[in-house]
Amino acid sequence: MNFKQAVVRARRGLREERRLYLIAVSSLTIAFFCVGGVLFALSNLSAAATRWGDTGRMSVYLSANATDGDVSQLRMVLEALPEVEEVEHLRAEVARARFIEESEGGEFSALPIEAFPASLEVSLSEGFGSQKAEEIAERVSGLSAVDEVETYRGWFARLESLMNAGQGLALFLALLVGLCVLAVVGNTIRLAVARRREEIEVLKLCGATDSFVRGPFVLEGTFQGLASATLAVVLLMGAFLLLRDRIEASLGELVGADVVFIDGPTVLLLLAAGAVVGALGSALSVRRYLAV
Amino acid sequence: MKRRIAGLRFACPVEFNLVTFLPQWNRLVYGTYMASSSSKSSSKVVRPFAFFRAGARASENASQKPILVFEDVFKYFKDDSPTLRGLDMSIERGEFCFITGPSGAGKSTMLRLIYRAHTVDSGRILFCGRDIARLKESSIPFLRRNLGIVFQDFKVIEHWSVFENVAVALEILDMPRRLVRSRVAEALERVGLAGRGSERTATLSGGEMQRVAVARAIVTEPALILADEPTGNLDPHLALDILTLFEEINETGTTVLFATHDHSLIASRNHRIIGIDDGRIIEARVGLRSWQNEPSGMHAVAG
Repeated sequence: MNFKQAVVRARRGLREERRLYLIAVSSLTIAFFCVGGVLFALSNLSAAATRWGDTGRMSVYLSANATDGDVSQLRMVLEALPEVEEVEHLRAEVARARFIEESEGGEFSALPIEAFPASLEVSLSEGFGSQKAEEIAERVSGLSAVDEVETYRGWFARLESLMNAGQGLALFLALLVGLCVLAVVGNTIRLAVARRREEIEVLKLCGATDSFVRGPFVLEGTFQGLASATLAVVLLMGAFLLLRDRIEASLGELVGADVVFIDGPTVLLLLAAGAVVGALGSALSVRRYLAV
Repeated sequence: MKRRIAGLRFACPVEFNLVTFLPQWNRLVYGTYMASSSSKSSSKVVRPFAFFRAGARASENASQKPILVFEDVFKYFKDDSPTLRGLDMSIERGEFCFITGPSGAGKSTMLRLIYRAHTVDSGRILFCGRDIARLKESSIPFLRRNLGIVFQDFKVIEHWSVFENVAVALEILDMPRRLVRSRVAEALERVGLAGRGSERTATLSGGEMQRVAVARAIVTEPALILADEPTGNLDPHLALDILTLFEEINETGTTVLFATHDHSLIASRNHRIIGIDDGRIIEARVGLRSWQNEPSGMHAVAG
């Protein structure tokens, strides 16, 4: 069939039924906004999970009788390891002062200095996670200057399972919203097509092939889906820029990572999904009126 | 005369003249689409016109046969009572024929079988020698391009302009825009709506809407026009106008099947009448006026 002619007829259809299409695009925009919101949450949870998974930290608690020489030697050994990025010697009084400062004083200021053993705080380079920290801990825990090594493995495991649960929930929500979008798209486009069933009948009686009849409707559906998805992304971006500081202040600190907008490929995927869902919805809706 | 079309040679017994709407069956039989141009003598082939299906070729003696033949046609909507019971009839090329009978007799069903909105349950319908019932679904659009169909309820798109309503039949054929404009103008002139192409169809009267529908039916210069109660929604004066319009179209060589149960309309003309009652053809005579003194069931049928 002639594509140019289909475009001309699709434009005519959009022009004639603009009020209906405006309503359709509004409904679809809301639906795609919900999908975009879920994708936004999902990508941030995923980023946070990756960030936490890649962050390797460990605390090497020093024994009470470790001399400054032992500590310097241990520090040199740790800093020489390629996986280690930074080693900080935290003396007992500094550890206590920091804790009291972070917990804003109160009843914790009464804690004795013995409750805060001196430690070497080890940060691993990017890409080395809790697994590598575990290996290093095994190697240094036998040294006489070392009392205990904390790799936070259990904490990371709990956080990871929490993140996984969050991702699962977000995926479920995405699926649910996706189904709602399909229903909304299907019904909206079906309504638009139903209003033009007489036009379809006339075309068929004049000898139009199914593809000739279907073409403009599919183009209109594609346009509706694409326009709705684009509008949803723009709205989501606007909302993100407007609320970015607040989101980062609350969620950013909670997950320990910067809140980011949906990445480019996901945005493109959302737009493509909009176009495909619109086209499919139209094609399926037209099908029932083609039997003339 | 020999004419080379789409790489095939066909014998062409009559010279084309599309401007005056002459032999419709040429295009049907020879599978060509001709363009009218400013110079009548310089008609040129725009594109091959598929004979029911792209690539198919009509038999060379098709032009010698009746345009439409019904052979023992049965159609069932209920298992125990067929709507059409063994219909046998033949329509010659260029005929004007009334199909009449009371409501529910099977007139519309008969027409719907011709444009394949329904399929026969037994028997054959031959259109230009080809069995319509055996056409594949994909060939039905090509069958309909050889038919012009007019309905009681007009079936015009009211929010389109008059031009758009007529042009749609040519757009389906992928005809160049320039040709569409000239052909639509010709068709509108023929139905008495010259210069009114830009008007919105919703603003027209019932009679004018039916004229738009007729223009849409004739603009592709079909071989056969099927009119299903085209005057049913019009007052008697307008009904006669529309009937006259169909007769004018018939004079150019187009076969017309005109289904109506309006006795006064049938009585006003001297065309062949095929009466249907209870799914059977009960009479097939020419001219109701000449029968008025004969013992005939036609008056009762035409009702």
